[in-house]
Amino acid sequence: MLLAASTGEDLLRAVLQGAPPGSVYALIALGFVLTYKTSGVFNLAFGAQAYVSAAMYFQARNEWEWQVVPALILAVFILAPLIGLVLERLIFRHLSNSSAVAKLVIAIGLTVALPSLFELVTGFSAVAGRTPTGIIPGGSSVFYDPFGIYPLSRDELAQMAVALFGMAALGALFRFSSLGLALRAVVESPRMTELSGINADRVSAFAWALSSLFAGMAGVLIAPRFNTLMAPDFFHLVIVAIAAAAIGRLASLPRALLGGLGLGIFIALFNTFLPRWTADHGWLRPFQENLTPSMPFVILFGVLVCWPAIRREHRVVDPLSGVDPPPPGLAALTRNRRLTLITRVFSVSLLCVIGVTVLLRADVRWLFLVTQAVILAIIYLSITVVTGFAGQISLCQGAFAAVGAFTVFQLADRYDLSVLAAALVGAALAAVVGAVLSLPVLRLGGVWLAIATLAFAFFFDAVMVKFSWIGGGGTSLFQGTRVPRPTIGPWDFADDRLFLVLAVVAFTVVSFLVIQLREGTTGRMLHALRGSEMAAESIGISPVRARVTAFAVSAAIAGFGGALLAIHQENVNYQNNFSPTAALFWLVLVVSLSARTIEGAAYSGAAFSLFDSLVLRGEVFRWIFRGWVPGILPISPKWRFVLFGLASIQFSRHPEGLVEYGKRRATRRFNERFDRRERDRASQETSP
Amino acid sequence: MNVLLDAVGITKSFSGIRALDDVTLRVVEGERVGLIGPNGAGKTTLFNCILGTLRPDSGSVILNGVDLGSLPVHRRARMGMGRTFQRIELFSDTSVAEHLLIAERVRQGNGALWKDLLGRGRPTSDEIRRCAEVLDLLGLTDLAEEPIETLSLGQGRLVEVGRALVTGPRLLLLDEPSSGLDRAETDALAATLAEIQREKGFAVLLVEHDVELVAAFTDRTYVLDFGRLIANGPTKEMMADADVRRAYLGDLEVGR
Repeated sequence: MLLAASTGEDLLRAVLQGAPPGSVYALIALGFVLTYKTSGVFNLAFGAQAYVSAAMYFQARNEWEWQVVPALILAVFILAPLIGLVLERLIFRHLSNSSAVAKLVIAIGLTVALPSLFELVTGFSAVAGRTPTGIIPGGSSVFYDPFGIYPLSRDELAQMAVALFGMAALGALFRFSSLGLALRAVVESPRMTELSGINADRVSAFAWALSSLFAGMAGVLIAPRFNTLMAPDFFHLVIVAIAAAAIGRLASLPRALLGGLGLGIFIALFNTFLPRWTADHGWLRPFQENLTPSMPFVILFGVLVCWPAIRREHRVVDPLSGVDPPPPGLAALTRNRRLTLITRVFSVSLLCVIGVTVLLRADVRWLFLVTQAVILAIIYLSITVVTGFAGQISLCQGAFAAVGAFTVFQLADRYDLSVLAAALVGAALAAVVGAVLSLPVLRLGGVWLAIATLAFAFFFDAVMVKFSWIGGGGTSLFQGTRVPRPTIGPWDFADDRLFLVLAVVAFTVVSFLVIQLREGTTGRMLHALRGSEMAAESIGISPVRARVTAFAVSAAIAGFGGALLAIHQENVNYQNNFSPTAALFWLVLVVSLSARTIEGAAYSGAAFSLFDSLVLRGEVFRWIFRGWVPGILPISPKWRFVLFGLASIQFSRHPEGLVEYGKRRATRRFNERFDRRERDRASQETSP
Repeated sequence: MNVLLDAVGITKSFSGIRALDDVTLRVVEGERVGLIGPNGAGKTTLFNCILGTLRPDSGSVILNGVDLGSLPVHRRARMGMGRTFQRIELFSDTSVAEHLLIAERVRQGNGALWKDLLGRGRPTSDEIRRCAEVLDLLGLTDLAEEPIETLSLGQGRLVEVGRALVTGPRLLLLDEPSSGLDRAETDALAATLAEIQREKGFAVLLVEHDVELVAAFTDRTYVLDFGRLIANGPTKEMMADADVRRAYLGDLEVGR
């Protein structure tokens, strides 16, 4: 039985191959579940934390030429828990009463901010083309082959050993120490635990330090598997960990552990036993080639969508949480009509001045940046619809935008269709994709919906883009995904100024439609659903229908914006514009500025495109002070990620965003002063 | 009289515990029916089974001759079931008037997207007038522009009632409307409810703890205990019934 023997061998080989990464996944999954259970934070930032530790270790070993042990102590046993403690102390402790979605948004903000912050502080920059070293000398070059079928490298053995040790230590801690008992209690209900005289804050700080240590350890262990050292690689890692944690339904540590290990092995098995299609099924090749790396996303998506139990999981709340008073409502301010008029006139005239100045004076670079800002603002309106109106965090807006962009590319390239018509087709296609995706995903709601859309974004990134009928295939590698500029009658939009006008017109039209949507039936229904789903259903609103509509509209807007962006850059530039991590930053930006208003989207577009040049490079000062720029400028564009990433922290307190918050506060101040003046006048009239 | 709601043989278990055991409940059109029982008797479970938030293990809910089967909550709402909530559920960040406008809009249909996009989705003067009428009926006209967050609990409950009324229900299910209110507020609520009910003529199913409210408001009462219907009849008789009193007050003889 030669066949059986070789199958058995394959099986064993796959297990041996999958166990080392599986144990690292398990390590992160453990940390993930630990923080989730103790503080309710769905910590996507673990990926960033793992990256920071891995980078610190790399820096210490390769740049400062430290020995393994001190480097390891610095990166894993000092830096990692320290970051965890700081995050817990400064941020998440104060959020214990915030919604899970607010915490998720902040974690996404940290995912964006932490790597850049670390790189700015230490002067580290992402490394490409160099394989990070492991924790064992000769880790990647010395092999052991106990069964004669798969040689395990020293690194792999170290991964398994460290992971095993970590799990055993955690198990012992839970089982035998009083701290472990307190941890288990906090996992059940932090407030109950406090009532029995245990400082739940301290326990949760400990949990954060411990789980961050796990994340850091996992980062250092897994780094040698990549031949680069960049933050996005580690973000993948946290997705895998979430998949593992989801298999364990986020509830039990042992199951998360088995989930991680099982996932590693399953991926290896899949890789081994995936049928090799032959040439007559050439169109399946991209699937075959790319399904393996995207397996975690597929599994995560599958687990979320197909496993009803997980949906119930997010409804499990602290039994004492009902004690809290509801959050204070927004002070619904009736704005003074005269004030509204003054601000409108002022802002419209300011916009006109800016517009004219840009059209007349701007050079090629500024024209490019301003046009990009306007087009991005269109894409951000899609976030306004899905997050601001429907209250759902979607992390796949980048994929929707890419659908639009690739449609334009394909239709223009193959059928020579007018790019503007193709942009509309792209919007329609994106709407279809959005609606189809939203059907299974919407039932999840809240945090799980965000994670499922993230899984979809990564799946799109890893598999769909590789198809030649989407991403252009091999030829696009050399020629790029070229998109021409349109001409309408006498106007040739190859002219950058004219194209800017087109972009502004498009933004105005889309904004108008979005406002119509908000004021219309759909907007009202979404508003009701956001306030209380139960009550909305009780008057006959179908939550699924309203939200699918919101998703489809949002995807259409994103697709249209993405198409325009491709036309503007005359290239799709998928990696730069639409990759899942780029889209994460979009969300962070819009949510921290204002996801509820058109203005918020406009400001976000400007912030993405212009903030770097205007503020960080100090151009604003140069204009105002005639060439003088403060000495500290220009500073690194990475500050953009740090500032806006950290700005998302205020989301828990002001979910309406910074712009809206500032506006409300200014209005209130004005009203108070106005009222006082009126009162004074009234009292003067009556007193004599 | 036409039977409006017919819940037949409803049985529901939660992991082996029978929350409801073959309960049958009927509401005739325009009738005011109470449903009482001690804590844990299964009132809320029955309520949820009727509304569709829970699916009974067996038995069926028939509204106006149509078996509701597994219809979702919002479809039932459209067929004429309105409700209020024990823990008040309002749409945050709206004014009282806007609140009702949402309901009014839903009553008219789902609202096609293209209508919204063409600017046909804004509230018409007809809708605003209808909502103003309901506000007037509830005595909330003065509060129409107030943000929902500034209302007292009693006013909030009235807004819930108004929101249900706007959808034009044939059956209004009230889930412990007195919870959190004091005696005076409860009486005021009961008076307003009675008045509106007389005017509009819809049927009411009132789930309540407060026996006085049930006695004052309903014509007929069902009594649940441990998931079984132990009595059902005119409210006055029920209040005097020995079994009912025992279920409520234990075996203590308390003179009232």
